Parts: sequence; structure tokens; C-alpha cells
Amino acid sequence: MEKNKTKNRREFIQGGVRLSLSLALGGISGMAVSSAIKDDYVWQIDPFLCTQCGKCATDCIMAPSAVKCVHAFDLCGYCDLCGGYLKPDANEQSTAAENQLCPTAAIERKFIEEPYFEYHIDEDLCMGCGKCVAGCTSFGNGSMHLQIVHDICLNCNQCSIAQVCPSDAISRVKASEAYKVKGDFTNKPEV
Amino acid sequence: MNNTEKLKLSENIAVIAGIFSITVALLLLLNFWQVSKSDPIESKALIALVDRLKQEPNNEELKVEIRNFDLLARKAYFNSQWQVKTGAYLLLFGAIILAFALRVYYSLKAKIEQPDIVLENEIASRILAQKGIIIVGAVVLALAFGASFATVNHLNYYNVESETAGSGEKSVDESIQVIEVGEVPKQVGGSTEQNLTSETSGPVQPEIVFVENSVENEAETVVKSEVPKLATTGGITLADVQKNHNSFRGPLGQGVVAHKNIPSEWDGATGTNILWKSPIPKHGYNSPVIWGNKVFIAGADDSSREVYCYNRADGKLLWTGVADNISGSPAKPPKVTEDTGLSAPSLTTDGKRVFAIFGTGDVIAFDMNGKRVWAKYLGVPDNHYGHSSSLITWANKLLIQYDTNRGGKAVALDAATGEVVWETVRKSKVSWASPVLAEIDGKYQLILTADPIVAGYDVETGEELWSTDCMMGEVGPSVGYSDGVVYAGNEYAILVALNPKDGSIIWENDEYLPEASSPLAHDGLLIIATSYGVLVCYDAKTGEQFWEHDVGTTLYSSPMIADGKLFMMDNDGMMRVYEFSKEMKLISENDLGEIAGTTPAFSDGRIYIRGDNNLYCIGK
Amino acid sequence: MVINIMKKLKYIFITFYFLLSTFYLFSQEQRFPKPEFETGYEQPSTITPEPRALALEYFDVLILIIVLSLASYFALKKRSRQGILWLSVFTLLYFGFYRNGCICSIGSIQNVVQSFFDPAYSISVTALLFFIIPLIFTLFFGRTFCGGACPLGAIQDLIVVKPISLPKWLNKTLGLIPYIYLALAVLFAATGTDYIICRYDPFVGIFRMDAKFHMVVLGISFLLMGMFVARPYCRFLCPYGVLLSWMSRFSKWHLSITPAACIQCKLCTNSCPFDAIDFPTNEKEVIKSGLGPKRFITYAVIIPLWVAAGIFVGAKSHTFLSKANPDVYLAELLISQPELKNDPENIDIETFLASGKSMETLVEEAEAIRADFYIGSMIAGGFIGLVIGFTLLNTVVFRRRQDYEPHKGNCFSCSRCQDYCPVEK
Repeated sequence: MEKNKTKNRREFIQGGVRLSLSLALGGISGMAVSSAIKDDYVWQIDPFLCTQCGKCATDCIMAPSAVKCVHAFDLCGYCDLCGGYLKPDANEQSTAAENQLCPTAAIERKFIEEPYFEYHIDEDLCMGCGKCVAGCTSFGNGSMHLQIVHDICLNCNQCSIAQVCPSDAISRVKASEAYKVKGDFTNKPEV
Repeated sequence: MNNTEKLKLSENIAVIAGIFSITVALLLLLNFWQVSKSDPIESKALIALVDRLKQEPNNEELKVEIRNFDLLARKAYFNSQWQVKTGAYLLLFGAIILAFALRVYYSLKAKIEQPDIVLENEIASRILAQKGIIIVGAVVLALAFGASFATVNHLNYYNVESETAGSGEKSVDESIQVIEVGEVPKQVGGSTEQNLTSETSGPVQPEIVFVENSVENEAETVVKSEVPKLATTGGITLADVQKNHNSFRGPLGQGVVAHKNIPSEWDGATGTNILWKSPIPKHGYNSPVIWGNKVFIAGADDSSREVYCYNRADGKLLWTGVADNISGSPAKPPKVTEDTGLSAPSLTTDGKRVFAIFGTGDVIAFDMNGKRVWAKYLGVPDNHYGHSSSLITWANKLLIQYDTNRGGKAVALDAATGEVVWETVRKSKVSWASPVLAEIDGKYQLILTADPIVAGYDVETGEELWSTDCMMGEVGPSVGYSDGVVYAGNEYAILVALNPKDGSIIWENDEYLPEASSPLAHDGLLIIATSYGVLVCYDAKTGEQFWEHDVGTTLYSSPMIADGKLFMMDNDGMMRVYEFSKEMKLISENDLGEIAGTTPAFSDGRIYIRGDNNLYCIGK
Repeated sequence: MVINIMKKLKYIFITFYFLLSTFYLFSQEQRFPKPEFETGYEQPSTITPEPRALALEYFDVLILIIVLSLASYFALKKRSRQGILWLSVFTLLYFGFYRNGCICSIGSIQNVVQSFFDPAYSISVTALLFFIIPLIFTLFFGRTFCGGACPLGAIQDLIVVKPISLPKWLNKTLGLIPYIYLALAVLFAATGTDYIICRYDPFVGIFRMDAKFHMVVLGISFLLMGMFVARPYCRFLCPYGVLLSWMSRFSKWHLSITPAACIQCKLCTNSCPFDAIDFPTNEKEVIKSGLGPKRFITYAVIIPLWVAAGIFVGAKSHTFLSKANPDVYLAELLISQPELKNDPENIDIETFLASGKSMETLVEEAEAIRADFYIGSMIAGGFIGLVIGFTLLNTVVFRRRQDYEPHKGNCFSCSRCQDYCPVEK
């Protein structure tokens, strides 16, 4: 009889605690839901904040990095003398290795018509070092810029590049607007 | 298969899988180590080869060598990536087999054992657990506590440090030290210094200047607290700067000089009208400045930075001042391009001291006899071509435009001591333009241009009075100023006329844009020189074009107006003299016989031109 | 004077540019406007592969619910070790190797915490569901999540080869670590410093087949250790396990070793690799040992002391804890070593100086973060003190137990013990 009593009491306490725990869980989820969004998050680089420090190439958990150079053709000047393709004081304007800025030769230079050349990034070779981006931004239009490419990015809960990015250029963006490709200069924030 | 055979089999598989996994793991580790040791992509050898190619641009063998090496490096890189990837899969595969085989092995081997008769003594283990928890808890807390004592809260030191630095947050300044080298005779107080200054108008004899300078040093050390007050009232007058040519582009940096009888014909080859020619020891792109009977220029190379003082009358090099032993200044000068050099900014002088700034970030003041007064290191200007903003002085202050890739600022140093009077952080990027002074509403303003703002600053306080967001790119031209309007322009950007009272844009034009040469405004006309060789004259009020002249050579120098004539030097050393009017009228073309891209300095009846290797005095 | 300031390169640009501007009115913004092609060149479009579809993320949640239901069914109803085993293989393959271990319930703690403290961050529903669903299941069925639905648990469970039994005192003492880890993880997530759970997840590198060198070493050493000390991460590190353990202690139902009455055969005692089976109490021994009410009162009374000590130490520790924050770190570095400003190798400092942000602002921000850390580490310290106090108290609480029962807080619901029980239904 007494045993039953203690058992009942224990069950009662257990039930009570269980109830309060579920209330607590409900409270937490309620609070979180109030600010939750249905969309998912992905990481992306703001090209206007990026300073091409080179950490994207070294700090991504992927090797090679999920950060790749993308080329906004709308912005490109199709220059013969491309600051993103050629070394700053290149020996000559050719595709020879000694003139190319890209360490992995990931940029393809294609002649279109005098004096224009199209530049195309081979994503398989690009490792996101941003050397071409730095060149294009300082000498050209800045049509080349770094972006996190989402078919490679594993979308870590905490992006390890974002953690070390010196210019805080990497942030969570909504998955429905997963890229910050430079469309035109109107996107440029006030400096 | 019986149980023993199965056992044997699983054991063998486990051993093989284990050896396989360990081998792959070791290979992977080796690969990791190799990659971390030498990233084939950042190969030092390749960089060295490319550097060598810069020295020998036509070495075909070297090119082939680079190409082969580059291919090898890239192959190595992608190979190592492939190896890591493949190795990881192999390791995973091996590990799965190993785990599976081991599980089978142990499950076959395992018999349901008779449970131990004496199980762990519950009570004893609980007592042990209590001890363990207390010890661990105490250790964790003690460790954290100890660590908290071992750490320094550096943030606490921030305020202390900035107070001693005297000027708020200014990052670079914390490392700056002022060195006073001038002699300090025992003499006089602050107020006399002020009187003396106002008396020193016109060309001053160097001896007098020297004494005054020493006096001021004394004044500084005795009544330090009064320094800002002195600075606000004293200084050179407009008459002083008009009599002399104390800064880049003459009085207030506006490009208009008051001197008369300026010769308009000379020839370097025949020596016609060349009064003297004097060699310049070290190269530099700065332009001559004049005070009294002295001409000042500077030169620099990687080994030293020097200021030269020439006698205006005969071109004799009077003294050479060396900017060395400046506290904080790095032993190795920063990398600058050859066409900028370490001595692109022009000097300035207030008749008591001559001031110089170099691409190293060193600012130095000499007295008129070449004695060092003070020196200051501003931190290496982060500038991919080299710092080139010239100095200017007003109201006992040395005004410095210090726009670098790390952000812009304007700095005013006390002319006598080099101490910071004010410092204003600008929302600007790097700039190669020079400061210009202008009197607006009875107040002298320092007008600066850079990407992206043209802005005016109160010379006394450094307060930003107005700022207009209109520039972009790598701004080389300084502003022009005339009749209450500021003219600013840059290649690829725009040419604007601004109202400095509110920063509003009066008109803009983008047909001809200067790249290095500064706009010159005077008497209703605006002169622009593009780097590709077109000299253009606009109506300063409306921006309507009056005339243009395509000279066909590079124009980096800034136009100057003297004696009703327009003087325009090109990069080949040819100076064209035009009539300064609404109609294009070329008076003469005068070849210096030496390349020169600098801006000339003027005095009565004389032009002083810095050629690549010589300083010229032109006159009748 | 500004003379030849531009490089030769730029001079060539000018000529090039001039060529262009003859037939194209240039915009002021672009240095080199896009040319108008005469040969009918078609401009390719910039390729931007879409991220994983949102529907698939919700599909993951569905999978999680199904796996959790199955795990609960296998553990509580079906009593099938085989079922749990294959379920964990599936979990390992799906959530581990296919989904690369991200997002997981363990890491989602930090997302929930950040959504409370960072007004700029709102949690995504999927992350919230990953956090909350396993907790709800645990509140009803015990830690079936650990048994079947957690990829980290699965990989460790599958490599258990020859588990050794750890003495109880060691289990208890090491059991304190997850609480400390949880407190730190919450502190760092709340202050926007870091997601340490994700950063130091030892297995995620294995799931991704790619990681930093030290993380690979850590992962492999955990696996090697896990062959003999079963589930080391789950037992002695997992911060989510702390929450699950709280839920599980009060779960409505829980796996039982025997389907009917225990026959005291003791066969199950060696079956649990995690030392999570409680033995029947020997009441005589308890009374004899003196670990009775007296000790209980002593330990209960010193709980506030533990808490106070924790708060005190926490308050003291906030300085070094906050150094983990990149902003604080940068500010301190600039203050303590101003000469680094001239070091072109230090990218962080270089970028900061180039950003034009003033030192004052940086220091203000760093001070604000440090102030947050002050409060946060006091709370974390107090929490750790409380946990130590209660764990201590728990060692003198004796439940009257006649049978061999799983410890509800520590049992991972792996169903191993059920295999050993000879009792038929």
C-alpha cells in the first residue's frame, strides 16, 4: 500500500515536471517562432564590402573553396588590357603563363572582335583567391567579383570564412535571394 | 564455414583493412604536410622568375622556363587535391571494412559472460564520485579564476593611451614622435614671436629668419599651452605669398602669380635667356618653391631623402638637408612606382622654415639655413604609386593632405614644433591631389579633392565646412579656385564648378578631363590640360568652351598664369606661352632641352623650372 | 607635385578608353563601358547555381520525424536492436554523409540562442524544428534521438568494438563537461562571437570528407577512442545531450530492459557500453555508509556557495572569454601592439585601417561586447556552479530500486540491453 503511495507521488511529480518542461519548450519555440522566417539562409559575399584579402581561398572548409570568382558580363568592358587577367606589369598582352594573374589559369580569354576580349571563369579551376577581383576592381570596372557558389557550398551553420573575414563582407542571406552579383552600379551603397 | 573459420576470416579482414587504412591515413598526412609546407600555387620560385622577367623583358628562354614551371606548379596543386579527395574516400572505405570486420570478430568471439558476482561497489563509487566532482569543480573554477588573473584587459588602456596621444583616436599617430633638433637660445616669450612674424613680410634675409626660428622654438618650450592661440593669429600674409612663390602652384596653390616682366622666349639648347642651370643631386617630381633669394626643391632615392636650397641669383647649391634618423620611420622605404618616386610632393615655406614630405611618410622642417627644426613620421602612406600631395602652409600651420588607401585625413602641424594642431578624418580614399587655400567669407579654407569628395576645411580648426560627393577614380588634379568658385576634375570622372559656401554644383562637364594637371581659374576663364595633350579654355561661369589646343604631347604639369600670359609645360620640356584670353593665341614654344613635367615657379622677371636633372632659371 | 603619377599601364588605358568614347557616350560610373559589338556577339549570362531547394529542407524535417518515430517504435515497442542498428546506418548515410552533418540538432542550439539575442537574426523554421522536435520526442519516449536519429551518435555507435566499463565516479565527473560546453556555447552564440559547437564538431569533417587538418585529427582520435570508450562525444561533450537528458529524466515512457517482470538474472549488466544501467539498491549498505540525510543537507546547503563561486569566477573570466570575439580581439591587438599597424601581413588590421572606421568606434564596440560578456559569463558561471552543486547532491540521493533499470537521463535507447534479456513477453 505504502509502496503504491510513493509510486503515485513520484509519478505525480514526474508528470508535473514533464508538463513544465513541455511548457518551457513551447515557450522557447513560441518565442523563436515569433521571429522565425520560413525561408532558409545561405551565406553570401557582399562584393562591395569585399577587400579581396584572400582568406576565402584558405579558410573555406571545402578544398578548393566554395567561393568562386563570378563575372558580371553586364559590367565588363571587354578590355584587351584586362587588370583581372594580366599581371599588373605583364610582359605582353597574351595568354602566356608569365602574363596571367590567375595562379590556376582559371580565366579563359576569348577574342571577340577588335579590340574586345571575353573573359570566362572556369569554376572547376577557380579557387577563390580573388587576385583577379583585386586587379579588376583597381584597374577596371570591377565586373569580376567573389561569390559563394551554392552548388558547392555546404551551407555550414557557421561559415568558417565569415568568421575570419576582415571586412565582414559575408553574411546570411535568404535562400530565395542567394546571390549578390553586381548587376550594375546602382547597387553600390553610399560610401 | 564453422565458427572458428569465420573468426579467422574476420580477423584477417580486419588486419588487412587496418593496415590499409593506416597506410592511406599516413599518406594523407604526408600530403597534408606537403601542401601546408609549400603551396604550389604560391610558389616563391615562380614569383622570383617573373620578377626576373621584369628585369629582362625580352628573355625568351626565361619565358619558356616560367611556362613550364607554372604548368608543373598547377599540376602539382590539382594532383594534391585529387590525392586528398581520393585518399579520403579510400580511408573511409577502409575504415568501414575495418569496423565491420571487427564487429563481426568480436560478436563471434563474445560469449554471454557470467556477470561478475561482485559488481562495482555502489557506495564506494559514489563517495569517489563526490570527491571527483568536488575536485573537478574546484579545479575548473580555480583554472578560470587563475586565467582571469593572467589576462590583461587591454581595452582599459585605450583611454589612457589616447589621452597621452592628445588627439583622440588617430590610429597612426600613436607611433609618432616629435624630435626637436633646432638650437634653443634663451630669448623672449610667445607674444614677441607674433609681432616678429607679422613684420617679416617680403623676402627675408636668411640670418634674420634663423634667429626668429630659434625664438619660436623657445616660445614653444616655455609656453606650450599658448601654442594653439599663437597659431590662430600669426603666420604669413597674402602679401608674403604673392611676393614669393612659397608653394606648389604659387600663392595659395591657386596657380596665379603677381610677378611682372616674365620672359616668354628661351631656348635650352642655345642658352638663350637661360640665366643659369644647376644640376640636381637626387631625382624627384616636386616643383620648385621660392622665398626671398632662395629656391627649394627636394630629391630622393631608396638610400636617402634630401632637401636642396639654391641661391636664386646664381644657382649655387647653398645647402642640402637630409631627412634621416626620424623616429619610427622604417629603414626600408615603401615600394613606389618609378614615375612617382619618393619625392613627388612639392615643398612649402613660410619664410622661417622650409617643409618637406616624402613618400616614406616623413615630414621634416629645416630653417632657412638648412638646420633641422623638427621631423615627424606620419606612418607610411599606403599609396600604390607613391604619396604625391604637396604641402602648403598658412597661419603658422603646415597643412597636409594625407589621403591613403587606409582612408583619408587632413592634418595641420604646428609650423614651429611639428605638433598636431588638428587632424580631421576624411571620408575619402587615396588621392594624389594637393591642397589649395582660398579665402571664403573672410575665412581661409583648405580645399581638398579625392575619391569621392571635394571638401573644404577651416584652416584654424580643421572642421569640415562643406563636402560634395562628385569625384571618383584616382584623383590627381588639385582644385582650381577663382572668384568664390572651386573647380575640380579628374579623368574618367567629371569636371565640376562648385560653390564652396554650400558645396552645390554650379555646372559640370565631362568633355575634357585632366588626369594629373590641375585646373586653373582666373578672371572668368578656366584652363584644363588633359594628359593626352589638349589644352582647353572654358568660360569659368558657365563651362562653355572658348578654345582648345591639341599640343599632341603629354601634359602632366599644371598651367600657370603670370604677367597676363598662360604658361603650360609639357612632359617633354616644351613650355608653351599663350595669351591669357578668350581667344587661343600661342605666343611662343620654348624647348628646355631636357624633359620636365614639373610646374614652374615665378619671381619678378624670372621663371624657375625643374628639369629631369637640372634646375633652370630663365630671365633676360 | 602630381606628375607621372599613373602607371604606364594607365596610359595605355587612356588611349584605349579614347577609342571607346568615340562611339559610345560613357557613363560616369564605369571606367570602361561595355562595348557595342558589331559581330553579333552574344553575351553569356553569369551562372549562379541555386542553393538547395527549401522544399528539400522541409523534407529533411519530415525524414527526422519519421526516423524519430521509427527509433521510438523499435526501442519501446518492437524491442529490436536490429531495427535501431539499421536505422542508425540510414541516419549516418542520410544526415551524415548525404547532408554533410549540417544542419543538426546539436548545432541548432546556437541558432535558437542567437535568434533570442541578435535582433538582426531570425531563425529559419527548419533550424527551429530540428531543435525542438527531438526534445519533444524525448519528453515522451526518452533519448531515442541519440539511439537512431543523430548522425554523430550513429557514427560512434557503429564503431563500438570492445567497450570498457568506466568506473562510476569517472562517468559522473566527466559528465560535468557537457554542461560547461553548453554554457560556453550559449555564451558565445548569444554574444555573436562564434558557433563553437559547429566549429569543434569532431565528426563533421568526416561527413564532408574535407576539413582542416586539426579537425581531421580530432575526428579520427575520437573514433579510435570510441572503439573502446563507447560514444565519447555523446557522453562527455554533447551539449544537446544535456537538454535531452533533462527531458528524458521526466519522459512519459521509456525503454525498459525487460518486457515483463525482471528475473534478476543480471545478464544485462554487461550489455550496456555506456554504463547507463542502474543496479538495485542495497538499502542496508546505504544506511551503513552514512550517505544519508545528513550529507544530503550539507550538500544542499552548499549549493548556493557553488553558485556564488561560479558567478564570481564567471565575472572574473569575462575578460579572457571575450577575447574569442574577433572585434574585441582586434581592438585589443591594436591597443596592445600599435606597431602592427605598419605590418602589411596582418590582413585584419590592414582592412580595418582601410575601412576608415575610427579606433574609437572599434573600442566602443569591443567594450559593448565585453559588457555583454560580463553579464553572460556571470550567468554561465552561476549555471556551472549550480550544476556542480546538484550533481554532488545527486550522489547522495538513493532511489529505491529492486530491478536492473536503464538510467533515464543517460540511456541512449540503443536497445542493446533488450537483446540480452531472456524474459519473453
